[in-house]
Amino acid sequence: MIEIRNLSFEYQTGKPVLHDINLSIEKGEWLTILGHNGSGKSTLSKLIVGLLKPKTGSVVVDGLTLSHETVHAIRRKVGIVFQNPDNQFVGVTVRDDIAFGLENLQVPRDDMIERIERFAQKVGMTEFLNKEPHALSGGQKQRVAIAGILAMDTDVIIFDEATAMLDPKGRRMIVDYMRQLNREGVTILTITHDMKEAVLSDRIVILKEGKILLDGEASAVLNNRAMLEQSNLELLLPLRIRHALTERGVRHPGLEALLWASSLNK
Amino acid sequence: MGIKFEQVNFAYQGPDGQKYLALANINLPIHETGEFIALIGETGSGKTTLVQHMNALLVPDTGSVTILGVKVTKEAVRKKQIKLNPIRKKVGLVFQFPEYQLFEETVLKDIIFGPKNFGISDAEATARAHDIIKVVGLDESYLSRSPFNLSGGEKKRVSIAGILAMEPDILILDEPTSGLDPMGRDELLTVFNRIHTTLNKTIILITHDMNTVYRYAKRALVMRSGYLVYDGDPRALFSRNNIDNWNLETPDILSLQQAITAELGLKLPHIAHTEEDLLAMLEAVLS
Ligand SMILES: Nc1ncnc2c1ncn2[C@@H]1O[C@H](COP(=O)(O)OP(=O)(O)OP(=O)(O)O)[C@@H](O)[C@H]1O
Ligand SMILES: Nc1ncnc2c1ncn2[C@@H]1O[C@H](COP(=O)(O)OP(=O)(O)OP(=O)(O)O)[C@@H](O)[C@H]1O
Ligand SMILES: [Mg+2]
Ligand SMILES: [Mg+2]
Repeated sequence: MIEIRNLSFEYQTGKPVLHDINLSIEKGEWLTILGHNGSGKSTLSKLIVGLLKPKTGSVVVDGLTLSHETVHAIRRKVGIVFQNPDNQFVGVTVRDDIAFGLENLQVPRDDMIERIERFAQKVGMTEFLNKEPHALSGGQKQRVAIAGILAMDTDVIIFDEATAMLDPKGRRMIVDYMRQLNREGVTILTITHDMKEAVLSDRIVILKEGKILLDGEASAVLNNRAMLEQSNLELLLPLRIRHALTERGVRHPGLEALLWASSLNK
Repeated sequence: MGIKFEQVNFAYQGPDGQKYLALANINLPIHETGEFIALIGETGSGKTTLVQHMNALLVPDTGSVTILGVKVTKEAVRKKQIKLNPIRKKVGLVFQFPEYQLFEETVLKDIIFGPKNFGISDAEATARAHDIIKVVGLDESYLSRSPFNLSGGEKKRVSIAGILAMEPDILILDEPTSGLDPMGRDELLTVFNRIHTTLNKTIILITHDMNTVYRYAKRALVMRSGYLVYDGDPRALFSRNNIDNWNLETPDILSLQQAITAELGLKLPHIAHTEEDLLAMLEAVLS
């Protein structure tokens, strides 16, 4: 679905932020990108939707090579929820804001009204539809930003720390919905610092200083303490306990199995 | 007395005059020293609004907030009877969105702005900035950069540095760890906790991370729809069965211990408070 080839990028000449990234994301896959603050996660996501221009290399989305000519077509396929919801808002009200993306997609009016209602409800913001997006709490802003992108019904959705300011229940609700969308065939790319969220995806890529440090199946990556620690990440609590018990020579197969299962959240 | 809310009500006003209730009848005393408070509660419950009253960024519609001896009311503010500068100097507030706090051309200028504004010399403020930038996990090369051209987590760190450099008596942090990588989160929580334990300062921290609440807070405040619905011991809070109604969840360490007890029938002598605690009990029971 997305092919990234030899992609490099710098904001300032001589200070590369991404080095020779190669990554291919399958249709229907759920990929998580992890990595320390400043490792290049948001930059990579902006390159995928053509908000930044690569220094070298290419991005191909669903057969279309990203360029000036294809960027609009690609943005119809790939929706992105930005890390800072304030950067997303264009409308005077929450309703206008969700409508804006749909107008760009030339969604017919009736369908548009229905989608606004449906997604406002999905994120629990129905009673705020007439409010100004900037006059909301942090978590409410994130919910609106998410609703705006979900309503666009794109083939791929990128969530850049989109749930970081939600309360635990709100976060669970959104993550459950990501899972449902993914089952329905939507390709999902999440950027997060929450390891409990990462474990739900199929595959994890760890970035470090603009390079791919590790790319593998989620459960394997989450148990790789050495690699996680290299990029300021952590083992999940049950796995930390499991590693610590092993180090102390304490063996209990039942407990080990339980710790493994509960870390996978299955 | 540090900060005292008495019968505080507050509503935001929309452009066409509608009111949005955000605080309802808040009564809350906070000590000037020695507290580590976690302020929690569902999205939109009024946490940010509450802390913005603690250094008079917002002023109650009715009722009063007495901040280190200064009684802030709508009336007093309208009559310009209140000096805000001394309050802002003593009560430092890190914003939920760093973008609202950062405004200077360089990170250095941003960090020294607060201290200089409160009478610290340029040289002293600059020296503090060189120390603090490392405390928040960035190196000195960041000082000459623009605060706007940083990653999300880097901005967050700089916004925290700016308030730490003021060395306020009371430190208020509005979701300081959202957007930080896990190691950065742990390091900064350790920094806040060290300020609390070594200098006996009061810390008030908003978070959605129940592990942080359980690990560090001595007192938990829970907000819901503008009301303060719980004020007390965090451990007692998590032993209640209605926390789900407040959109909270059980800390990882507790749910893990519950699973171990329920599924393996292992009897552990007490409820674990920390990870080391749980490990020690497991080791003792299993070996
Ligand atoms: N507009 C910009 N101009 C110059 N440098 C930038 C700009 N935006 C980001 N950077 C730098 O590029 C690097 C990568 O930033 P990016 O925002 O991609 O990181 P990230 O992995 O998303 O981090 P975080 O977890 O903190 O959000 C960082 O070192 C950052 O300082
Ligand atoms: N500038 C504003 N104008 C109008 N209403 C506002 C404004 N800021 C916040 N509100 C409303 O006040 C209520 C409380 O908001 P507040 O920001 O205090 O919540 P919060 O508990 O900090 O939430 P979160 O966890 O999402 O940050 C919300 O319903 C919000 O919509
Ligand atoms: Mg980012
Ligand atoms: Mg808030």
